[in-house]
Amino acid sequence: MTESESSRDRRIAELRRSRSKDWFLQGSGLFLGALAIWAWLSTGKLTGRLPFERRWQNFKNFLGDLTPSPVRKSDGDWTEAVPWAWNLFAERGAVALMNTIAIACAAIVLAAVVVLPFLPLASRRLGRRDPFGIYPGKETNQQGAFAKPTLLDRFSKWQIVGGATRFLFVLARAVPEYILAFLLIALLGLQVWPLVLALAIHNFGILGRLFGEVVENADDAAARQGIGAGMTRKQVFATTIFPAIFNRFLIYFFYRWETCVKDATVLGMLGLLTLGHLIALSKGFFWDQMLFFVLLGASVIMVGDLVSTGIRKTLRDPS
Amino acid sequence: MTVENRPRFPGRRRWVFLGVAAVFLFCAWFLGLTPSGLIPPDAERWDRTGRFFSAAFSPALDYQDDSVPDTADPILVKGLKGILQTLRFALAAMSLAVPTALVLGFFGSSAWWPEPCGRALKIVLRTVFVSCRFVMSFARSIHELIWALLILSALGVSPLAGMIALAIPFAGTLGKVFSEIIDEEAREAATALKAIGHRPVQTFLVGIFPRALPDLITYSFYRFECALRASAVLGFVGIETIGLYIQLSHEEFYYREVWTYFYLLLAMIVIVDLWGAQIRKRLNPTKA
Repeated sequence: MTESESSRDRRIAELRRSRSKDWFLQGSGLFLGALAIWAWLSTGKLTGRLPFERRWQNFKNFLGDLTPSPVRKSDGDWTEAVPWAWNLFAERGAVALMNTIAIACAAIVLAAVVVLPFLPLASRRLGRRDPFGIYPGKETNQQGAFAKPTLLDRFSKWQIVGGATRFLFVLARAVPEYILAFLLIALLGLQVWPLVLALAIHNFGILGRLFGEVVENADDAAARQGIGAGMTRKQVFATTIFPAIFNRFLIYFFYRWETCVKDATVLGMLGLLTLGHLIALSKGFFWDQMLFFVLLGASVIMVGDLVSTGIRKTLRDPS
Repeated sequence: MTVENRPRFPGRRRWVFLGVAAVFLFCAWFLGLTPSGLIPPDAERWDRTGRFFSAAFSPALDYQDDSVPDTADPILVKGLKGILQTLRFALAAMSLAVPTALVLGFFGSSAWWPEPCGRALKIVLRTVFVSCRFVMSFARSIHELIWALLILSALGVSPLAGMIALAIPFAGTLGKVFSEIIDEEAREAATALKAIGHRPVQTFLVGIFPRALPDLITYSFYRFECALRASAVLGFVGIETIGLYIQLSHEEFYYREVWTYFYLLLAMIVIVDLWGAQIRKRLNPTKA
């Protein structure tokens, strides 16, 4: 080994030793890995009770039933499938499709509008006694603004409101929308509101976090001027921060809209006329129809995906 | 500042607002959403709503159902077992989805393509790229519950079927985002490595992938949170997670039991959410 090689190896070893290590991340990784192994080992019998041959037979029957019924009757003549599909679409699919999209739109607009007034409260920079480090209160108290924050400041009115708002977001997004819709239907009856509300509440929490991150990272030059000139926190938010990050808001808005369309589809499985309802109805008896509605839903979501990606792209780099 | 040079409300933003408002009003009209729909329709449901929300303040610590034998697990133990099952399905599904997504994400990105690149090779690469993107798009266009319905009907109810049903759409979403993260990663290191003669795939493994890793981990963890919720919901199609207990107790009108399970589920998801926030902060100290 030449001298330059050994000094190179030493240097590499040195760099390796000095790399940043974080016990929390390493611990988290190990813990998750161990949990994942446990998840597979503790399963017991993974494959259920039926013997394999029965299963295989079931699977073949299932595949056969997926072929559209007119095609099956006419021995594989796929031209028969076109009027069949058109009928399904015109009679039931189209309305369900419109319902699905309308529920998604209503829910996401509701969530986005309701979340806006909460954002200045949730922001760590704005929702505090001294927004952006500028104390807007009485001059006699100003001394305190430049003093080191005391323990009492951590429990000031603003800190508590901010913490509570952020926790509200966490709670709202923790609720799975399907379970929420299920519970709300029992209370409000079988109508559209429970679905819209469930989607809106869940997305309120998610948009709160996504929008919140944008607010925290926004440029604060104009906002500081506003606070200094005596504007309130809400005024500063509405007139300086909101306009500046409007595009980024829309990006997230459309991203969540796309997810809402997908979720609205399955919420119908609870018994309302969206695509999920048709899928649940045809399950077990008309597998071919079920597959048609599943594919219809999938194609709508793919189109929604393209629309949303296109809009987001134009918003990100406006020409 | 005079009135004339006061900055005007930008036109484009106004149109966005008007458009969104118009869409909302149209949807509300189309769906027949009226404010009166927000209150329970009859006396029975009023009563039920009252009982449901008052139960929130006294979640059950004992079964409300008297027919449960004394030998059964106490409700908290049963709930915790349900939570563990929920966790188990989510983790098993993620451990299938992440490796699949890494492969799909690699072939669905263009960061590792050699340059310059022959015509024939380019056609092959493009075909692989487009078909990967299509597979991912299709996988995530079908909701996990519908995948579950399909797979459970095809293979019968079994834990494995539930895990696969969760893993398919998650692999699609993860793969799509992985490929986008990889493609948007800064290329300076890769360019330098290429200049000193590394092969394209080496460049990718050494110059691009390690830089993208923090984002990949952060996003995977976020999807793990989503998988927990999805796993709970799988209870509604017969997989034994906490969602199944919620549904069963609810059907018997044991609202206090519902709240017990619900609180346990919320607690788990909130804890994992806070854990994820810590991980995000530590992986991206500058961004947080």
